Amino acid sequence: MFLAIRELLFAKTKYILISLITTLTVSLIFIVSGLAEGLSADNASSIQGLAADYLVLEAEAEGELGNSFIPMQQAKEIMNDQEQEANTLSVQMMNATIGGGDKQISLALFATERGGMLMPEVMEGRFPKQENEVLADDSLKQEGIQIGDELQLGEKTSYVVSGFTTDQRYSHTPVVFIESEDLKQVNAVAVKGVAVTDGDYSAVPKIDALGGIPSYSQEQASLNMMIIFLYVITAFVLAAFFYVMTLQKRDQFGVLKALGANNKYLISGLITQIILLSVVSVGIATAISFGVGALFPADMPFILNMATIVQPAIIIIVVSVLGAVVSLYQVVKIDPLEAIEGVAA
Amino acid sequence: MTLVLEHVHKVYQDGPKEYVALNDASLQVKAGEFVAIVGPSGSGKSTLLSIAGALLSPTSGKVLLDGENIATLSKKEVTKRRLEKIGFVFQAAHLLPYLKVKDQLNVISVLAHKPKQKKADILAHFGLEHRINNYPNELSGGERQRVAIARALVNDPKLILADEPTASLDSSRGQEVVKLLAKEVNEGNKAGVMVTHDERVLGFADRIITIRDGKVEFVND
Ligand SMILES: Nc1ncnc2c1ncn2[C@@H]1O[C@H](COP(=O)(O)OP(=O)(O)OP(=O)(O)O)[C@@H](O)[C@H]1O
Ligand SMILES: [Mg+2]
Repeated sequence: MFLAIRELLFAKTKYILISLITTLTVSLIFIVSGLAEGLSADNASSIQGLAADYLVLEAEAEGELGNSFIPMQQAKEIMNDQEQEANTLSVQMMNATIGGGDKQISLALFATERGGMLMPEVMEGRFPKQENEVLADDSLKQEGIQIGDELQLGEKTSYVVSGFTTDQRYSHTPVVFIESEDLKQVNAVAVKGVAVTDGDYSAVPKIDALGGIPSYSQEQASLNMMIIFLYVITAFVLAAFFYVMTLQKRDQFGVLKALGANNKYLISGLITQIILLSVVSVGIATAISFGVGALFPADMPFILNMATIVQPAIIIIVVSVLGAVVSLYQVVKIDPLEAIEGVAA
Repeated sequence: MTLVLEHVHKVYQDGPKEYVALNDASLQVKAGEFVAIVGPSGSGKSTLLSIAGALLSPTSGKVLLDGENIATLSKKEVTKRRLEKIGFVFQAAHLLPYLKVKDQLNVISVLAHKPKQKKADILAHFGLEHRINNYPNELSGGERQRVAIARALVNDPKLILADEPTASLDSSRGQEVVKLLAKEVNEGNKAGVMVTHDERVLGFADRIITIRDGKVEFVND
């Protein structure tokens, strides 16, 4: 610590420059993570937040909610088989207009039994009472929809928004919930606790069903790929920097060894420097990412909170230390004799 | 502290060739004695000093510090002996560029896990009291070398080894520095060995040893 800190302070410019670079890559990691989280929620928050643990789907659907079709008769039987609460879920992607106007709005219509567990909480307005009333995600407000507005679906059907709920998005569209008793087929039976199924139907944990949402896996995979590359870049930048620094300081390490410094002391100094640097970079990058997040428009799918940041932050610090291993090896190899006959310092 | 080298051989392996740098070198330095080593370039002076200071292990022979043979100790143990018992002064000062003068000395206490004492006394002793908060690049060559000597002495080592400590200094500065070293050795009852090419500083040594072709040739009492 004694030497590590003093050297950092003495060679401020070098270390500030390198922190700047890592701060930028770390900020990018956080922002892309926020985007991944935001897109994930935008795509699937209605399923993530569903008041159930398993979805029973048609076995042939291979876990894809949209490909699973269960006749109502069968759905009722499945519900009766369950030990805990269960409700049917029907998902339909639709286009709607406000009161028959020109503007088309995409939305997902989620239908379930009256009084079932799947209806979300009301944040504003009131719970649907009549058959033509729906509970809408509050992101529809950005489309200009207010309580009491009429959503026209096709020629015949229209619904009235009786209230708003929140965090209910599916496949990048807002979800509208309706309680309905006259469905002929549904997409899934949502089950609490453990699901009981037979051959034609299979139960999928709620989280796995996310992969069945169109484009969900592809989106997340490409963003995660970017994040992994950024980890590797950060590690390499730090590893290369400390490697060059170590080579430059060979004779200093030699002198210290001749004076009686052991490898353990020199190595822990180097690791202290790397951890300090990456922790400072992570700290500043956290501030930058929250700042950038605040500048994004409200409807941009971006979710950044401390929970999103902790995991990448730990990975960055671990990966930075791992990158330093080459330098550590250099330090161990240096012979104190190099100091005694070395050129003047 | 006494330093004893008994029948020390050092053979450098240079590819297939072998080079005998020290050939049956023996010498003794008693407590309070300041010994100068002279000899032509390439005769093995630095090699002898490195072996005495546990920076290099001999091919054969014994190196006894107060009776303990350091030639057979592990690397880790040897590093510890250097820290506890040996003070080095190199040809160049080899100060750490990022440390202020006071910290050049403090680092030894830190390495030895000893409390940092007031370094003002020892620095005043070397005429450096007004340079305590300066970095090495702000010091003159002579001042740097005096800091290096102060650093070698701060842990109160019983053996002081100096390899051409005056090489980077003009002759009056050089004399001053060697005088300081001799005084520390004599008054502190330490063993001191200095390699030098500079004849003007030989007067401060209690004894002069000449090395030629890896052999201790001439001991002048
Ligand atoms: N690592 C090494 N490998 C091979 N030969 C070496 C090595 N180090 C020193 N030598 C050789 O050993 C001999 C003694 O070297 P040493 O450095 O001890 O001489 P010296 O008396 O200190 O000379 P100078 O007065 O020039 O400093 C020299 O001939 C040198 O070339
Ligand atoms: Mg030499």
